[in-house]
Amino acid sequence: MSSKTKKRINPNKLVIHIILLVGAVIMIAPFLWMVLTSVKTFGESTQVPPVIIPKSLQWENFSKVFTTLPFAMFYWNTIITTICKTVGQLMFCSLAAYAFARIKFPGQNVLFILIISVLMVPNQAYIIPQYLIMVKLEWLNTLTALIVPGVTSAFGTFLLRQFFMSLPKDLEDAAKIDGCNHFRIYWRIMLPLAKPGLIALAIFTILWSWNDLMWPLIVNSSPSKMPLSAGLASLQGQYITEFPVLMAGALLATWPMILMFIFLQKYFVEGIALSGTKG
Amino acid sequence: MSSEVSVNQESDVKIQKKTKFWLNKQKRGDYFWAYLMIAPTLLGTIIFNIWPLLQSFYLSFTEWGAFGSYSWKGIVNYERLFNEPDLLIALKNTFVFTILSVPLGISLSIIVAVLLNQKIKGVTFYRTLYFLPVVTMPAAVAIVWKWLYNADYGLINYVLSLFSIQGPRWLTDPNLALYSIVLVAVWGAIGYNMVIILSGLQGISTTYYEAADIDGAGMFVKFFKITLPLLSPTLFFVTVMSLINTFQVFELIFMMIGPNSLVIENTQTVVYLFYEEAFINNDKGYAAAIAMALFLIILCVTILQFKLQKKWVHYE
Amino acid sequence: MKRLMTLLVLLLLVLSACSGGSQSSNQTDDGGSDGSGGSGDKVTLTYAIWDKNQAPAMEDIANKFMEAHPNVQIKVEVTPWDQYWTKLETAATGKSLPDLFWLNSANIEKYAKGGVLLPITDQIEADGVDMSKYPEALNSIYTIEGENYAIPKDYDTIGLWYNKELFDAAGLSYPDDTWTWDTLLDAAKKLTDPANDVYGFAAALAGQTGIYNTMAQAGGFIINDGQAGHDQPEGLRGLKFWTDMIHTHKVSPTQAQMTDTPPNTLFESGKVAMMFAGSWMQIEFNQNEYTTDKVDVTVLPQDKQRGVVIHGLGNVIAQNTKHPDVAWEFLKFLGSEEANVIQAETGTVIPAYEGTQQTWIDSNPKFNLQVFIDMTEYAIPNPASIETRAWQQIETDILTKAWAGELDIEEAAKQAAEGIEGILAKEK
Repeated sequence: MSSKTKKRINPNKLVIHIILLVGAVIMIAPFLWMVLTSVKTFGESTQVPPVIIPKSLQWENFSKVFTTLPFAMFYWNTIITTICKTVGQLMFCSLAAYAFARIKFPGQNVLFILIISVLMVPNQAYIIPQYLIMVKLEWLNTLTALIVPGVTSAFGTFLLRQFFMSLPKDLEDAAKIDGCNHFRIYWRIMLPLAKPGLIALAIFTILWSWNDLMWPLIVNSSPSKMPLSAGLASLQGQYITEFPVLMAGALLATWPMILMFIFLQKYFVEGIALSGTKG
Repeated sequence: MSSEVSVNQESDVKIQKKTKFWLNKQKRGDYFWAYLMIAPTLLGTIIFNIWPLLQSFYLSFTEWGAFGSYSWKGIVNYERLFNEPDLLIALKNTFVFTILSVPLGISLSIIVAVLLNQKIKGVTFYRTLYFLPVVTMPAAVAIVWKWLYNADYGLINYVLSLFSIQGPRWLTDPNLALYSIVLVAVWGAIGYNMVIILSGLQGISTTYYEAADIDGAGMFVKFFKITLPLLSPTLFFVTVMSLINTFQVFELIFMMIGPNSLVIENTQTVVYLFYEEAFINNDKGYAAAIAMALFLIILCVTILQFKLQKKWVHYE
Repeated sequence: MKRLMTLLVLLLLVLSACSGGSQSSNQTDDGGSDGSGGSGDKVTLTYAIWDKNQAPAMEDIANKFMEAHPNVQIKVEVTPWDQYWTKLETAATGKSLPDLFWLNSANIEKYAKGGVLLPITDQIEADGVDMSKYPEALNSIYTIEGENYAIPKDYDTIGLWYNKELFDAAGLSYPDDTWTWDTLLDAAKKLTDPANDVYGFAAALAGQTGIYNTMAQAGGFIINDGQAGHDQPEGLRGLKFWTDMIHTHKVSPTQAQMTDTPPNTLFESGKVAMMFAGSWMQIEFNQNEYTTDKVDVTVLPQDKQRGVVIHGLGNVIAQNTKHPDVAWEFLKFLGSEEANVIQAETGTVIPAYEGTQQTWIDSNPKFNLQVFIDMTEYAIPNPASIETRAWQQIETDILTKAWAGELDIEEAAKQAAEGIEGILAKEK
């Protein structure tokens, strides 16, 4: 049987590989361009027809990023605010999601729609009112202003609610009979089972926090409070943008995200093994 | 006889009362925990989002001068909404854009996610590659796609010219531009949705597949009978969020087409119009009315989806 | 996983304590205004700009001022151009504008009439600041209804940039100050070679770097007292200069082509021989190794008369500043000869103060930068009103159709003028 299944699997897997590879080429094209442009000269980056491979590698674009911007400081700010926001969202979103998914209480549908309704308005509509709140709270030019509005999320609540709802209905029955309160059920039973959802939320929250640009620029002014995204934006001038340096900066700002994704993926793979013993 | 009946009735009533009391205690415990657990999120949402949303709503009835001075104007802005040809065009563009990109984007994302959930060599590598568009700087995405689509020096038309085909003007032909951008939107959505769908796939117990294998089910049967139904809670999320986000598409239009392009009228979406009114024409009151109208549309579509859940979403 | 969560929660608590700490120290830092206005106390001013490349020069100037005023701390804060105006407007709404900041012609009237700027007419008079040291056109931009609001900081004008290599190949002499519209058209025809994908002139639709200049050269105006000059005979003539290049004489790429590939890129790739571009482009053309030895610039050609758009930034003080006197001292210094020389040395902008421009010209001897200064003689201020961006968007929306060949220029000019006048009327 093993030789037969081996023979049968290979052509399928080959087809999958081919499809994935073709798709991957299209997926990574802009990223490839980012990498290539980061080592081009300024002139090369503006030519038409476009110069794809630079004549020589301009590594100084990368050092230029560090000399023109306090990148280390930006990194630090971004890391702190991102960790806080991610932890916050994982906690608060999962709590709310559990309640919406596993408990019947009056008004839950209305409240849930209320919460996700805030996603239905363009962000720009919120900026001025949110800024005014920061002014009143005297949080201007602080990391707190970057963190606190970001620890709750309608997106995250919705995502995790779906995960909790897809868990077997009777899961908590045994625990209830034992007299566990909802928090214990949430903490000991539900949360571990929703790990793939938590991972996905973590990825998105980290990503969003890492790249958020408009808000940090509006509420903060001094470089010591700026995240990476704001630092990158300052490389774009009114008339001139030195694309090679900008791309170098973008790569320097982005590689932690890629690393984060590779790292968090390991949890995904673990998920496959675990789910066999679940249910 | 009557005494027997009355004794039974009495104990029945006692049992009923006890059960009711127990249920009440249970329910009270439920409600307590429920409200407690949703409290932080609800609080945060109310302070940072609902309150600004209400302010926006109020704003839509005003004429907003510079720097916060405003005057009440009643429903003038809404009247303008119904008579403004620009808005109708933007609505049409938005609908076309959404109807094309959402189904296409989600189907491709499902296929990709399922393929990336297989036990094949290098799956981590592939997943990372498909994730790259999500982390690529939006400016870089716009530049590359603009170059791909560049009618005179771009890659697509260059390849077409090798086959003696004169490629069209992808981004400057009024009839084509919107569809060109749909493609970019789909491209961008795949990596993003892949992460969510992958995590949903992880939650499907392999015992189902093992049982199906024993029964001799083929790939497609497994996909349609096991994967899709068990994935439906996640797919519900993806569908609702995709619709909410795609109805609000703006950045893509702004970066790929922009205010100075001759085809902006053929590609402008409702949020683009909102941006134009709020920040270029500085008519924030009218812009707020546009936002409210869009909000209402999206809300209706979303509520509809929640009601239709029962038909296709399978919760265990 | 449970231990991880606990650790992270602890981390969260620790970090929020830290950021709370820095927040409070920030408040005493940024405040400096805890009711104290005494001369001995530390005063902190914030100065907002949008160009990172000019930050070193601004910081230099700030440092010199701080040397002379040891109790003053000046923080230069850069916000990228794309976000600068949203941030400024948001801050104005919250009455928390930075003490001093840059403004341009498009926004000065809005901010002045919005009451968020400190008028400086009295201070100028009291301290005897000589405004004649700055170009007249600049002063007029920053004087609203008789009140001064800014001291000009720098300026830019528009020049005719050309590709020497292409001229040499065609055996033509380079453009100079004798050129008229006809001479330019002649040369453009000879330089256009569609087979080799080369055009004589990039006639893209633009305001400050395009039609406003030719409308002035034809003897017309752009906006004046609520009226738009686009459909007047002179204004129309100024517009036709461009559309004829594209449709009648075919010496320019089409508007669609120039939308796909911006004129700057075409010029830097040797695909167009000539274009109008601002003095600020000298940095980019210089840094770009493809153009640095191949291009040069001269004055704009003349039609019935000479005309060019001048624009410049102004330094302003916010109405909500807590230290109007100190801010004024710094503003004066920003407008001083010393500060302008510092600006000139960086080569990034042409300083506004009379006589300091030579340093800028010398910063790059390869290009004939003198022409930008020469043109200030007959320069008209960049047209602006309260809602400049609004009417310019209508202008673009309608004129683009003529540039794209979808509408006759006469009809487009009429519609554009109507649209512009409609917006101007609302401003009243």
